[in-house]
Amino acid sequence: MPESAASARLEELPIEQLVGCPECDLLMAKPTLHLGEVAECPRCGCELFRLRHRIVGPGLALVLAALLLYFPANFLPIMQLNLLGRVTHDTVWSGVLSLYNSGMQGIAVVVFLCSMAVPLMKLLCQLAVLLCIAIDRAKPLGLLLYRFYHHLREWGMLEVYLLGILVSIIKLRDMAELSLGVGLACFAGLLVVQVWLELVMSPHQVWEALSESDDARR
Amino acid sequence: MRAADAGLMVCHECHQLNRATLGIEHQHCSRCGARVHIRRPNSIARTWALLITAALLYLPANLLPIMTVRMLGSGTPDTIMSGVVTLAKHGMFPIAAVVFIASILVPTFKLVGIAMLLISVQRHHPMSPRQRILVFRFIEWIGRWSMLDIFVIAILVAIVNFGSLASVEAGFGAVAFASVVILTMLAAITFDPRLIWDNTEAGNKHD
Repeated sequence: MPESAASARLEELPIEQLVGCPECDLLMAKPTLHLGEVAECPRCGCELFRLRHRIVGPGLALVLAALLLYFPANFLPIMQLNLLGRVTHDTVWSGVLSLYNSGMQGIAVVVFLCSMAVPLMKLLCQLAVLLCIAIDRAKPLGLLLYRFYHHLREWGMLEVYLLGILVSIIKLRDMAELSLGVGLACFAGLLVVQVWLELVMSPHQVWEALSESDDARR
Repeated sequence: MRAADAGLMVCHECHQLNRATLGIEHQHCSRCGARVHIRRPNSIARTWALLITAALLYLPANLLPIMTVRMLGSGTPDTIMSGVVTLAKHGMFPIAAVVFIASILVPTFKLVGIAMLLISVQRHHPMSPRQRILVFRFIEWIGRWSMLDIFVIAILVAIVNFGSLASVEAGFGAVAFASVVILTMLAAITFDPRLIWDNTEAGNKHD
């Protein structure tokens, strides 16, 4: 069987030339990629690596743009509602506060974490990791923060919040006079920058860059 | 060939290969320092525990009101389903469909889907591993979107705040619903997808 012959050879390869699929545990010889290429697991289709030209420069620019947008996105009004001359505003933060004050502390904490705290922590981790790579210092801290970032990833839900804003707009449209605020534009901008940043920071390359200094540069 | 058969472990966090050393109980990844295992420990039991808790909370989540809209003093409590029905009655079909999918179909599909994956790993199941990994990836990807209703409540509570004229209050159904979403997301994280492939190659043990 050709397959068993191939796997016998696999076992003899040094560990640096092998790669294991994180989703199905298939063992393969590490492929060499050219810029812009993607390696996928032949058995389950999981993306193994993707090689990007540069991660630090564009990454830092995007992180800073996201951090600049973060505060207006969360604290400027997303929309105003005018009912018989009385106007109310909604910001991401006021949503959390109103829930908290109406006795729904648990939900308020969940909304705060998913829409404000986790996205901010993710950005700060990414900033620290990129800085560690750029200045080539404090890589163990970078590794720790990048691990933390991977645990947080699932829990940042900006895109779901944006859909929530759209659903609310449609629900409120008939009830009273509704106008959209600057906060909404900043929020949408923050979401776009954040998704773009995740595409730029190819995890495999970040892990490699963070572990490089120990053996190669010292 | 599986990495496990060659005595190699893939790190859960940075995907680095680590050679399993005999006699060391808690081995750490050579690159990132995370704990490495051949398979996630007790993945099946932990996933079942989270899933059963989620299934129990699924009932109050759907039966209790998630929010109450008060207009001029008189309030109508809304459950998840009645909210969708109200939207559809007002002719807002696309948005009713979005809320129905995110709040009713997705949580139900997640509960059934994760249970099915667990059963298929514990007993040899006719579904192909490829189909099962697609179900798993879909569940992992879609899980977060169920938080939609919770965010809508947060926005409505903040903006519809005109005192006795009109106001929105969150209900306890929302607490149960948020718990279901979080628990099923945790269940998807705890489940080790590599188990799906383990029982497809003859003679391999799992657990």
